[in-house]
Amino acid sequence: MSAAVISYLISLLVYLGVNSIAAWALNLQFGVGGVMNFAFILYQAMGAYITAVLTLPKSTVIGDQTYILGLSWPWPLPLLGAAVAGGLLSLAVGSFALRPRRRDFQATVMLVVSIIAETLVVTQPHWFNGNQGLYGIPQPFAARLALDPNGYGWFFVGLTSVSALLVLLIVFRLTNSPWGRRLRAMRENADAIESLGTNSRAESLKVYVVGGALAAISGGILVEFIGAWSPAAWGTGETFIVFVAIIVGGLGNTFGAFMGALLVLGVFLELPTYLPQFASANTEQSLQAASIGVLILIFLWLRPQGIFPERRRKLADQVPGSTGAGSQADTITLATTRHNFTTGADGDASDALTVRDLAKEFGGVRAVDGVSFSLPVGKITGLIGPNGAGKSTALKLIAGAEKPDAGQILLDGKDMAGWPSYKVARLGLIRTFQHTSEFGRLTVLENLLTAGPAQPGDSIGGALLGKRHARKRQQELLGQAWTLLEEFQLTSHADLYAGQLSGGQRRLVEIMRALMAAPRILLLDEPLAGVNPTLRLVIEDHLKRLRDEGLTMLMVEHELGAVERVCDSVIVMAQGKVLASGGMVELRKNEEVISAYLVG
Amino acid sequence: MNQIILSLGFGLVTASILAMGAVGFTLQFGVTNLFNLAYGETMTVAAFVTYYTHVDMGWNFWLAMTAGAVGGMLLSYVIGRFIYMPFLHRGTSQFAMVMVTVAMSIILKNVMQIFSGATFYSFALGPEKPVHVLGMDFTPRQLAIMGIAVACMLGLHLLFRYTRMGKAMRATSDDSSLARSVGIPTTRIVGLAWMASGLLAGLAGIALAMDLGTFDTNFGSSFLLIIVAAAVFGSVGEPYGAMVGALVIGIASELAAIISPDLKNVVAFGLLVIVLLVRPQGLRSGRVQMRMDVAG
Repeated sequence: MSAAVISYLISLLVYLGVNSIAAWALNLQFGVGGVMNFAFILYQAMGAYITAVLTLPKSTVIGDQTYILGLSWPWPLPLLGAAVAGGLLSLAVGSFALRPRRRDFQATVMLVVSIIAETLVVTQPHWFNGNQGLYGIPQPFAARLALDPNGYGWFFVGLTSVSALLVLLIVFRLTNSPWGRRLRAMRENADAIESLGTNSRAESLKVYVVGGALAAISGGILVEFIGAWSPAAWGTGETFIVFVAIIVGGLGNTFGAFMGALLVLGVFLELPTYLPQFASANTEQSLQAASIGVLILIFLWLRPQGIFPERRRKLADQVPGSTGAGSQADTITLATTRHNFTTGADGDASDALTVRDLAKEFGGVRAVDGVSFSLPVGKITGLIGPNGAGKSTALKLIAGAEKPDAGQILLDGKDMAGWPSYKVARLGLIRTFQHTSEFGRLTVLENLLTAGPAQPGDSIGGALLGKRHARKRQQELLGQAWTLLEEFQLTSHADLYAGQLSGGQRRLVEIMRALMAAPRILLLDEPLAGVNPTLRLVIEDHLKRLRDEGLTMLMVEHELGAVERVCDSVIVMAQGKVLASGGMVELRKNEEVISAYLVG
Repeated sequence: MNQIILSLGFGLVTASILAMGAVGFTLQFGVTNLFNLAYGETMTVAAFVTYYTHVDMGWNFWLAMTAGAVGGMLLSYVIGRFIYMPFLHRGTSQFAMVMVTVAMSIILKNVMQIFSGATFYSFALGPEKPVHVLGMDFTPRQLAIMGIAVACMLGLHLLFRYTRMGKAMRATSDDSSLARSVGIPTTRIVGLAWMASGLLAGLAGIALAMDLGTFDTNFGSSFLLIIVAAAVFGSVGEPYGAMVGALVIGIASELAAIISPDLKNVVAFGLLVIVLLVRPQGLRSGRVQMRMDVAG
């Protein structure tokens, strides 16, 4: 091979390494965590700039460039500095950009931030030499090694590979940990993961920061290789190229991200240089860009999961003693582990939860209008009423999914009114949803595991320690989950995606998942809706058993037969107010209740 | 003081362009719940159609402007009907939809670039003598832009208030499944919303090109975020809010330009970010209000 070919091959390999790190970083944020980072290129650029100014000597030494720092740090310190800078910048941007709930709003904020940052770099030339950019950045160890260009090139390929493998290890461990599972659950349904005690904004911010740090490393390696960096190198369009790589490769799949990076580099950035030129350079560039757009549309239409779809994580064969009658763990432990109530200042010892004068208005309509009731410990309380009575709203207020305008929600003597749902959930108050809220692209078993408390691998630090670190707790939770699956007769579906199940089965998944969270109080929003009659009886029996084991429940339900069979006492709501309460038998005779149902 | 009044004049012109753009954006968002990042390209295409018919084919400018607006309308309808709606009907997720609109934007922009190259174009309308109005200077062209914008806003107001179609559009925007269940043909309404949105985008694009003097394939998309700022400021999905947003953003950015021209976009973007963070539902949390109007 001629020296020119080798030099080309070297730069291809370095670019592949850089692009892979970038793709892994974005895949972790977007593919795994569902955080749409439209400012991605900003972090890569920041990494490049910081690496450059940490590697370069003081600005005055080189002459006509002006820039900050200039610390002449040896490798790999500039890269580490870049990672820290990328992480800090992500922290600053993410702490406000991730506030809106809609992902497209978040993306818009990031797009704006990216554009503002570009303007700042250009208009503040003393930071990174403005539009001219930085150049003459020394390559790591080049002076000391004194190799011929290609010899050094191979050395640099080695450095890049080591860095890329390290990043791969980090990304792999994070993705395949309980924390990664939580991120995927958040991607699937942020409201549901909050209802299980996860602060989804905080978790989004964490993955945003980790991704930003890794993106900065990719930029740092790139600038060490090419030795120059300027605003022209990081237009907002570059962000889109990384998105293309991970969408084509397969969102959520680490190997897919690598293949996507390879494909985009090979097919779109390098291949055209070998094709005969048939039009002006500008036209060819436009054609290339337009075809990337078309490719995205084709993929999102025909194969939205990408060439290498996210791996389905089968866990059933890891369940201890799953292949026999070895269901030694009992659900009794689930329900009662956290069953200890301290009584409030003036609360009754027999009440688990007390609601006072709760009110919520939507645009002039009083959905909940001064509602007060208590949930007795170890009982199932039914909440019934005609459509629009405010039952579901009352449940949402208690669960923290909506903020009440007025009133108190007392648990352990603490007023939880206005708390976010994840905080409410952490006190052991777990809800299910009226519309099923399973994590569609997690398996049934994984759905249950996301709710398991106290998992050692459920943090960045824990995840980085690897699987072994988290195994013991995982085995315990798998055992508990399997017992539940056996009782609900869903063991054969354990490794299927929850999104593939029938409506009734998904409801079961949701109930099991809530139980995995070891609730003290369970709020059930129409748990029997859409479930077939046989399964209904199973659910009813199960709820009664949990009650007998001491679990306190509130159940919003339409089907009065089931309410009569299951509930110990019933609260009737109409037009936002509590109309009556007591046993179902008396309520059936209550004129007011009857008329409310007939009128409503 | 003089400078401020003068800038207020510029602000009114910018606000007029923004109003057409922002109302079009928000109308389409309200009805389809889609954050269309290819909206700027509709503006650019309309400007090119006007250029082609006026400069190359020698049509009268106002006729060419109409052609451009109709071009924007058709483009918007075709993209909505044959690209976005099929994806939406498939249940494509929100973030994938954003990628779809970005892809559309890239395709349109680059296809235009293949034909137009990377050069700047001008309608070649020639210089005009400014007219003094209350201490502000306007060219007749700018007065025309403001007139068109006011006519559009008035027309929309009448449409929403007094016609069945307008009310149906707002009902669909408010709650599409409810609207369908009371017998509103939502598919047709969505189609009409795409057309109205494209028409307004087209007019905004042409007006912007008239005001700036020149345009290229990038000019629509670079103006898009300012339009989004106006739309978001007035609460996305709320046409009247978008009008208010356009006024505020238009005037604020021109006033900021007195201090430094660089500040123009910074102010608009700053307002966009602040509103998205503090009150993503916008100044008027208008959705419920809208429902009341339709019912009453």
